[in-house]
Amino acid sequence: MYTAIANVDLVVPDGGTCAVIGPSGCGKSTLLKCIAGLIPDYEGQVFINGEEVNPKTQTIGFMPQNYGLLPWKTVVENIRLGMKIKKAPELLDRNVIKQLMRQLGIEGLGQRFPVELSGGQQQRVALARVFALQPDVLLMDEPFSALDAITREEMQDIFLRLWKKFNVSTIFVTHYVEEALYLGQKIVVLSANTGGIAQMIENPLFGGKNIRQQPEFFEMGLKLRNLIKKDWNQIWENQ
Amino acid sequence: MGKSVSMWYLSAAAFLAAVWAAAAEIVALPIIPSPLLVAENLTEIFMDYIAVHSIYSLWRIGAGLFLAVAVGLPVGVLMGYFPKCDRFLSPLVYLTYPIPKIALLPILMLLFGVGESSKITMIFLIIVFQVVVAVRDGIRSIPKETLYPLYSLGASFRDIFFEVLWPASLPKFITAVRVALATAISVLFFTETFGTKYGMGYFIMDAWLRVNYLEMYSGIVVLSLIGLVLFTTIDLIDQHACRWQYKQ
Repeated sequence: MYTAIANVDLVVPDGGTCAVIGPSGCGKSTLLKCIAGLIPDYEGQVFINGEEVNPKTQTIGFMPQNYGLLPWKTVVENIRLGMKIKKAPELLDRNVIKQLMRQLGIEGLGQRFPVELSGGQQQRVALARVFALQPDVLLMDEPFSALDAITREEMQDIFLRLWKKFNVSTIFVTHYVEEALYLGQKIVVLSANTGGIAQMIENPLFGGKNIRQQPEFFEMGLKLRNLIKKDWNQIWENQ
Repeated sequence: MGKSVSMWYLSAAAFLAAVWAAAAEIVALPIIPSPLLVAENLTEIFMDYIAVHSIYSLWRIGAGLFLAVAVGLPVGVLMGYFPKCDRFLSPLVYLTYPIPKIALLPILMLLFGVGESSKITMIFLIIVFQVVVAVRDGIRSIPKETLYPLYSLGASFRDIFFEVLWPASLPKFITAVRVALATAISVLFFTETFGTKYGMGYFIMDAWLRVNYLEMYSGIVVLSLIGLVLFTTIDLIDQHACRWQYKQ
C-alpha cells in the first residue's frame, strides 16, 4: 500500500474533455486506473454519471499507451472485441464498424493483424475500438505519445472529430503540454510534490480554429510548462 | 503444405537415403542393408505386419499427449494468471520436473501393470511438465496493459481466457509439445520393449532378436515416418492457429 495521489477533487462535465498533465511519477496513470476501475482498493470515490464506478454495468473505454491491440486478432476482431465483451448485439452491427473504419481511414485494413500496421494505423484501430462502444467515459493513457510529431497532430484532429460526433466524456493523461492545450477543455496539473492537483485550468483556447498556429497557444504552453517545472523543482528543494 | 516445402522434405529424405546407401556399400555387412532392399521389404510387409504396430504406438502417443494437455493446460493457466497458485505449485513442479521420467518406469509398471496404462502414463509425465511451464510463461509474459482495456469493460475470466490467455500462450504451448514429443517417442520405444506384443518398439526389438535386419530397418523407417507425420501436423496447426506470428 502506498499513496500515489491524494486530495484529488475533480469533476468532468458530461461530454467534456479533461487533460491531466504533470511530471513523471505524479500519479497520472494511477488516477486514470482508479477511474477505469482497475484498482480495487483505494480511499475515495469515483462516480460516473452519478454512480460508483463498476466496469460490469458501465461502459468504460480504456486506451492504454501501447494501443492495447491484441496481436492475434485482426483489425476487425480487435474493434469488435469490446462489443463482444459487453454483449451488446445492437452494437455488433457491421455498419457501425464499417462507418467508423471509413471515418478513420482504415477501411481496407480489416483483415490485417496489428503487426502489419504502422503506429499511426494501430492508433486509429485503437480509437475505432473505443469509440465503437460509445462509452460512458473514455480514458486515454498518453494516447498519442508513441507517434511522430506530424502523425500525432493528425491523430489529435481525428480524435477531436470523433469526440464531437459521439460526444464522449474523455479524460486523458499526457506529458505533452501542447496536447493538453489542444485537446483538453479542462486542464488539470498534477503535482508530483503533494500528489494532488496543483492547478485546474478551464482552457480558453480549446476548440479554436487553427489554434496551434496562434501566439496565445505558445504563450499558454510556456505558462503551463513553467508551472510543471516549478512543481518539479520543489521536490528537489524538499530533499 | 506448399509445393516447395514438400520438395525440401523429399530432398532431405533423398539425402539421408544416399548417405545410408553409401554406408551400406562401404560397410558391406548385413547389419547395414541397402535402403533399396529395406524399401522393398517395407512395401511387402507394411500392411500385413507393421501397420498394426504403428497404430498401437500412435494411440499411446495420442492418449499420453491428450492427457498431458488436459492436465497441463489448466494448471499452466492457473499458475500463470494467479500468482498465489504459482507460489504454491512452482516448487512442486521444479522439484519433479528434472527427475528423468524413464527412471520411474519400474514404479509405473508396478503401479499400473506392464500394459497400456503405464506406457501412456510415461508419455503423459514427459509432456505434461513442458506444457505447464510453457503455458505459465506464455501467460506471464502478457503485458498488463493488454488486459486493462478488457478489465475496464468488465470482462469475465472466461472472456480473458478465450480472448487473451489462450491465444497468447498458444505458440509457446505448441513449441513445448513439439519439443516434448521427440522425447516422448524415444521413451515410448523403450517402454514398448516391455510387456507388450504391439508397438514399433516391440517390432524393432523383436526383429533384432530374430536377426532380421531388413525388418528391423523397416521398423526404424516407419518410426521416423511417424515422427515426420506428427511434426508436420503440429507445424500445420501452428501455422494456422498462430497465423498472426508469421505475418510481416
